[in-house]
Amino acid sequence: MIVIAIILGCTIGAIIGINAPIIPYTYSTFLAIAVIAALDSVFGGITSVLKKNFDLTIFITGFFCNSILSIALTYLGQRLNIDIYLAALVVFVGRMFTNLTIIRRHYVDLWKRKMAEKAVNSKKVSKN
Amino acid sequence: MRIKMPQIKKPKIKMSKEKLVMNITIGIACFALMLVMFMQFKVVNQTDITSIETMREEDLRTELADWREKYTELTDRYNDVMTKITEYQTEKENDEKTAQLLQKDLEQLSLALGTTNVKGEGVTIILTDNGGNSLADDEDVIISKITNYDLLLVLRELYIAGAEAISINDNRIVAMTDIFLRESNDISIMQIDSQRITSPYVIKAIGNKSYLESAANSKDGKLKQLQLAGHGVEVQTSSASRPITIGAYTGEIETKYMKDKE
Repeated sequence: MIVIAIILGCTIGAIIGINAPIIPYTYSTFLAIAVIAALDSVFGGITSVLKKNFDLTIFITGFFCNSILSIALTYLGQRLNIDIYLAALVVFVGRMFTNLTIIRRHYVDLWKRKMAEKAVNSKKVSKN
Repeated sequence: MRIKMPQIKKPKIKMSKEKLVMNITIGIACFALMLVMFMQFKVVNQTDITSIETMREEDLRTELADWREKYTELTDRYNDVMTKITEYQTEKENDEKTAQLLQKDLEQLSLALGTTNVKGEGVTIILTDNGGNSLADDEDVIISKITNYDLLLVLRELYIAGAEAISINDNRIVAMTDIFLRESNDISIMQIDSQRITSPYVIKAIGNKSYLESAANSKDGKLKQLQLAGHGVEVQTSSASRPITIGAYTGEIETKYMKDKE
């Protein structure tokens, strides 16, 4: 069910995104930083799901607030003539890597456990 | 069992509701993410065409600054070149003016010096030397030959009358011209500079023709005296429409001792 939701959301988003009018390059920095913030939220959400402490409200607020906040910070940076979006980028991407590591570890552990179970089962079968 | 069934079903329905909300929310999130991502991809793709419209503001600023710098440099150079051109033009004009003035000066000097062929109104005097013959009226009187002094006096009179150029037998008379009589073994040779001339002496003078004519026909004039002395004198006047031509002085004009005083 969730997979269908993700695929559907992604497909519709992609189609509309492709057909959307081009925004000026000046504002593309804002979009890029929003994308990174959203991706960070997504990975954070996946991690929390795996850790079984996923909260939809936190996820959604994080998803949108991070994006909007990062855009606001980037804008402020432009006003102040300082690349604040770089700091946001470092934080988001760093967190993304941390979350990815957690996800990877989780699935590797899962796979290892399954392999171990399989091995035990096969031993049991062979004994029988 | 009957009571338990709905108990089991209820949480199932609850779960699916929560899941539905979650799924929809995640779907919306995915939708938003993908939308923004693809918009961004498109922008980046478009930018690969490197059209100036989609260029980054910073790049544009840098580019603009570069161009402005170049523009300033070029403007400076342009101004320099223009100033130089103006200078050269002024110089050229000055040179041209100087050249024109020099040319005018040169022409005038040449005219005065007699180094050019000239033409204009004036008189032609044909002086025939009857020296050695006796007078028509009185055969006892033998006419004396025309001397260089006679010619010099004639010339002086013509100059006084305002002659601008004079030649004798096509020998241009200039400031340094000397007319002299070389006498040896009873033969006298009239010479202008080193050129020998003989009678009839054709004296051409350019100037105001009436002045020259009156000078030539003057009662007290040298020509009248010569005529009275028995020589042949014929005065012809030429108007501007049929001008006299006098050739240039062909000799060398040398100055050895005189220098320009600064």
